[in-house]
Amino acid sequence: MSIRLIGISSLVFLSIYIVQESIIAQFRLPGGGFSILVIFALSWAIMSEREIAAVMGFSAGLLMDLSQNTSGPFGQWTLIMLIASYAISYLGYGDDNFFGGALGVVFSIVLGNLLIELLFLISAPLLGVSVGSFTQIFFTLFGTSIWTLFLTPIVLPIFAKLYKTIFQAGSLA
Amino acid sequence: MSKGGQSRTRLLLVILIVTSLFLVTLDLRGVKLLDSLKQGMQNVVSPFQRTANTVFSPVKGFFSDISLLGRSGSQIEKLEKENAALKLELLERQDADVQIDQLKNILDLAGSAGYKIVNAKVISQGSYQSFAQTVTIGSGSNAGIAQNMTVLSEYGIAGIVKEVYPNSALIQLASDPAFRIGVRIVNSQQIGFLTGRGERSGVLQLLDNSTDINEGDVLMSRGSIANRPFVPGVPVGYITTVDNSAGTIAQSATVRYYTDFSKLSVLAVVVGGPSTNPGDALVPQKPRPIPTPTVTVFVTPTPTPSN
Repeated sequence: MSIRLIGISSLVFLSIYIVQESIIAQFRLPGGGFSILVIFALSWAIMSEREIAAVMGFSAGLLMDLSQNTSGPFGQWTLIMLIASYAISYLGYGDDNFFGGALGVVFSIVLGNLLIELLFLISAPLLGVSVGSFTQIFFTLFGTSIWTLFLTPIVLPIFAKLYKTIFQAGSLA
Repeated sequence: MSKGGQSRTRLLLVILIVTSLFLVTLDLRGVKLLDSLKQGMQNVVSPFQRTANTVFSPVKGFFSDISLLGRSGSQIEKLEKENAALKLELLERQDADVQIDQLKNILDLAGSAGYKIVNAKVISQGSYQSFAQTVTIGSGSNAGIAQNMTVLSEYGIAGIVKEVYPNSALIQLASDPAFRIGVRIVNSQQIGFLTGRGERSGVLQLLDNSTDINEGDVLMSRGSIANRPFVPGVPVGYITTVDNSAGTIAQSATVRYYTDFSKLSVLAVVVGGPSTNPGDALVPQKPRPIPTPTVTVFVTPTPTPSN
């Protein structure tokens, strides 16, 4: 991965982060809403090789840790996103990949999102983060999964095209 | 993937995991290495949040209506444009009216207790990812806001200032699972701690197990040393359910907050506490039933005609 590709990818990640923090965060959506940054990072991780996916997950997590809205110690989201991105890329890479087709990719992003939330819930008590009542956690997990399932088919073609444009142009250059 | 490639990937993964764990350890040990970076990032995002808030504020609930406009022919398009402009104007007006109402109620509340406040608009909602309940307001240290100050809504406690930036501040809402406030019950003067649960209700734990608590009892904030993080006498909520299970060490109850955290558009940060404790001056009035007029009909019997 060249310096130029890293620079462009970082700018894209930063733009998505700003969209999440400034626009999506304006709406208090029922069921907790969604994170466009998580959907973006997971969809790019699926399309990438494992080591690139790990770097992408690390970068997305670092941005999430930099957000003032996140609770918990700095680095928690970095670790969670790194593990989730690597795992999703590990399952999706190669000819005998786990997903097979667009529908599989959508469902794996939803599962990836759920995995991220569960990793947060598992690590939260270890790091002294309060997470609320059981019903609230259940509704948030359910709500975010539904939102991700609804939104991913809409944004996935855009993210895929963006990925293709940046990485194919980068590899030709 | 070749053997060399695989070991390179493993090495990279190990390096990244170690870096993440290193960051977590640094933060937990209180080394605020990345605080300035976090503050810098918020300074970058804050103008975007402010702009997005201005753009989306009137149309938050009517997004679908606006997206349907401009799909027909030229004449209809023209009329729809006019209609949209009027609608937008109306929505802006309605939005402003709601904000004025909230602001008026906040000023009434703060004025009754003698709090010195700074008003601010909510410019961003918190993220659901961390199961935290936060909002960002459009005023910060430049307006005199500092960490650990009480934040009021039009009905009572809204939260506390968690982080401060020059032109914005992060508010931890009272519904946040990590939120704790010392409270007293208005009638019995019992004291206890209220904890957020991620929703509009919280859990009250009393320090004394001997006296009774009842549904409907009102809770007020107890106040902290030098009024930070909590000023005294702010309405918090009322008891909805009392947990009477046998064998509990401390008596507990479920409390419903007065503040509706899903409808916050204007908040007030208490920058100066009251000179005297307002006591129960801010206890919300219970709605009084409107008396129904009773109609009394007098019937005078007519004398029976005698033959």
